[in-house]
Amino acid sequence: MSRFPKLVFLLGLSVAAGAGSAGAVDLAAGKKVFGKCASCHAVGEDAKNKVGPELNDLIGRTAGTVEGYKYSKAMIDAGAGGLVWDEANLRAYLTKPRDLVKGTKMAFAGLKKEDELSNIIGYLASFSKKAAAVEKEEPDTKAAAAEPAPAAADKASSQAASPPGAGDGLHLKLGRLATEEEVAAWDIDIRPDGLGLPKGKGTVSHGMEIYDQNCASCHGDFGEGVGRWPVLAGGQGTLRADRPEKTIGSYWPYLSTVYDYVRRAMPFGNARSLSDDDVYALTAYLLYLNDVVTDEEFELSDRNFTDIRLPNEANFIEDDRTDEPFYAGKSEPCMTNCIPGKATIKMHAAILDVTPENADEDDQPAGGID
Amino acid sequence: MNDRTTTASRRAFLRNGLMGGAAFAAAATTGSARAAGDPAITEVQDWNRYPGDGVDARPYGSPSSFEAHVVRKNVPWLTSDAVSSVNFTPLHELDGIITPSGLCFERHHGGIAEIDPAMHRLMINGMVDKPLVFSMADLKRFPRENRVYFLECAANSGMEWRGAQLNGCQYTHGMIHCVMYTGVPLKTILAEAGVKPEGKWLLAEGADASAMTRSIPMDKALDDCLVAFAMNGEALRPEQGYPLRLVVPGWEGNMWVKWLRRLEVGDQPWQQREETSKYTDLLASGKARRFTFLMDVKSVITNPSPQAPISHGKGPLVVSGLAWSGNGRIKRVDVTTDGGRNWHAARIDGPSLPKALHRFYYEFDWDGSELFLQSRAIDEQGFVQPTKDELRSARGSNSIYHNNGIQTWFVNKDGGIENVEIS
Ligand code: HEC
Ligand code: HEC
Repeated sequence: MSRFPKLVFLLGLSVAAGAGSAGAVDLAAGKKVFGKCASCHAVGEDAKNKVGPELNDLIGRTAGTVEGYKYSKAMIDAGAGGLVWDEANLRAYLTKPRDLVKGTKMAFAGLKKEDELSNIIGYLASFSKKAAAVEKEEPDTKAAAAEPAPAAADKASSQAASPPGAGDGLHLKLGRLATEEEVAAWDIDIRPDGLGLPKGKGTVSHGMEIYDQNCASCHGDFGEGVGRWPVLAGGQGTLRADRPEKTIGSYWPYLSTVYDYVRRAMPFGNARSLSDDDVYALTAYLLYLNDVVTDEEFELSDRNFTDIRLPNEANFIEDDRTDEPFYAGKSEPCMTNCIPGKATIKMHAAILDVTPENADEDDQPAGGID
Repeated sequence: MNDRTTTASRRAFLRNGLMGGAAFAAAATTGSARAAGDPAITEVQDWNRYPGDGVDARPYGSPSSFEAHVVRKNVPWLTSDAVSSVNFTPLHELDGIITPSGLCFERHHGGIAEIDPAMHRLMINGMVDKPLVFSMADLKRFPRENRVYFLECAANSGMEWRGAQLNGCQYTHGMIHCVMYTGVPLKTILAEAGVKPEGKWLLAEGADASAMTRSIPMDKALDDCLVAFAMNGEALRPEQGYPLRLVVPGWEGNMWVKWLRRLEVGDQPWQQREETSKYTDLLASGKARRFTFLMDVKSVITNPSPQAPISHGKGPLVVSGLAWSGNGRIKRVDVTTDGGRNWHAARIDGPSLPKALHRFYYEFDWDGSELFLQSRAIDEQGFVQPTKDELRSARGSNSIYHNNGIQTWFVNKDGGIENVEIS
């Protein structure tokens, strides 16, 4: 896993197109450079002040302001004079500490190599909430961040030794914070109350165009389903019939499910390829195919979405299986002479002859049961 | 014993199916061989003379070539496409309570996701103190548990609502498996993010092409769920969610989200497709039950059964089967040979673990007459497995899911077996 350095892209403009591009930061390498700081500094969860102050949330922090740490007067003055740590002044400070802050007590010769500077700053930025430019982070490094702080590492291993299942109250401080962008990339679910709906809109007629190109080959021109592919429309009034047809219009309780599902899983074979507006248009068209809306110019959007209710919403009930007669009693079952007379067959599976079996064995007589 | 002869004759029997002559033919061969001296004994066999493969030939072992017929099978007409489909565990070929990893039935909605574990992340977001991201390496630093649980698809036996349809317990009951999981208690991971007091539901999401999602009540999440990375001692199989899956003991299989990549905490269920359009139980009244999570008490005789007829004629017969309940342990299994007129308590053998398969046996001397074999399980909470007719009178025939009715196998005089319904 660690045989190849992993590239992570921070600070920057750039989600790195490749190693060596200007804004690309190698977090693993940054962590290595931090080895030169670790005798004096800690960073990561539980980081404490050591010889030098802890370095969490460094980007955007005013110099000389970590509580409980005794700075040099020079550093406090620099902060009071407006020194707020960012990429540029860190680069200067770490190259020649005393050039930037004359009289700082940090006894560190300075880093010379450009890539070491970029990587250490990127690494420190990954522990800074204000580093807005931070886009992604290698999760392994967070765990590793405990390294410079022996106290935290000890704590983790002693808790890990507690018996399995002692979940309550256990905190190992594993993992790392998810960024807003990361959450946005995955959190695409939508609830019936509209929570999660993206901004956007689309009309029935536009939906029809998209549908004909992307959906009709499986689901049929009118949502009737081609072959065994799912039926999407029709079936109203069939739920009590011998063969009910369960569709968006006849069965589904909520419209949000249509938007959510089409966006996450359709078209089958090319999921997540539709724009938010496309999905609004398709959802509008599916409403039209199901006669829930009738106007071809109807436009569905995040603003009118929750006004629309599907006809079958009221017909869903909670699980009441334990009230069924055979469960409610929990009575001891009969053991002897339970049913009068001999058992007689009322239905054979073989009659239906639907059992798939041994189709690959050509000496198999058709219709055998095995 | 000569494996090849036994297997060959059994397979010949299977091929001929109900055409009863096969059983006789097999018996005759064995008989005459014995009279002349069984060649399996009197002749030196190849494997007794020539060395076989060395240790490097099979770095990851697989079953004997004589067991090549023991495989999962699909029922193509059930679903629209094999990529969004199901295959079935060959229960009639298995014993004990643990399902071999490679035979665990598969159900997926967007094919098997092939995920590089170094690229896999588990995110926790929503109503938590801190949204977190874990790598697989992070997850393996939490204290973990080993637990044996059955996983049953809610649609197991779903084709039988309208009456006996499929001949073989692989098809009628094969959407179940039972393995030992290794994983981290879900509550441990949730505590790391800090669930807010309003957080009453959890949405689990997969990383596959269907981005499978299900809403799970928080009480269950904090009770016995696991985030598992291993089954039967080794990494999860790709088709079972490698590198990470949710384990939701005793509850319907669809909730055990495979390729698990995200857990979101919220104050209401999300009403996803798999909990509205699917996995809701339509009743005869036209109403539909939703959030029917628990898998009810159930059992089935796996041997003999249509794919595994009685090939040895009358005499000692081992009836063997499986029982399970989402409520906990199985207290007792009864077996009948006369279609439910009289029942006999079966013998449960092997571990009796909560929410795991239980193996039962009922041994008796078969006199060669017709049998109506059934099994009936009772769980530790006192729930008794109902008959299919009882289920239908309460629910109708269009529920699809949660059919735990008593199964009947009809045994004819030749030992051939059929799936039937009786009165
Ligand atoms: C020999 C100990 C030592 C080493 C090694 C060291 N530092 Fe420091 N560092 C200090 C001390 C002491 C201070 C406080 C300076 C002051 O008060 O003037 C400090 C201050 C800082 C500050 C300012 C913090 C603030 O809160 O304003 C930064 C940033 C910093 N160090 C980064 C680094 C980095 C990055 C490295 C490694 C490349 C490093 N230091 C190596 C001792 C060290
Ligand atoms: C290649 C065939 C195919 C195409 C093209 C396709 N779908 Fe689907 N669709 C499926 C399959 C298969 C399922 C069921 C998937 C499963 O089993 O989980 C499905 C399910 C659905 C469902 C849920 C049906 C239900 O009753 O639960 C909706 C809604 C849907 N598709 C809409 C769309 C839309 C909109 C498009 C076009 C953007 C589309 N599909 C394109 C094959 C397809």
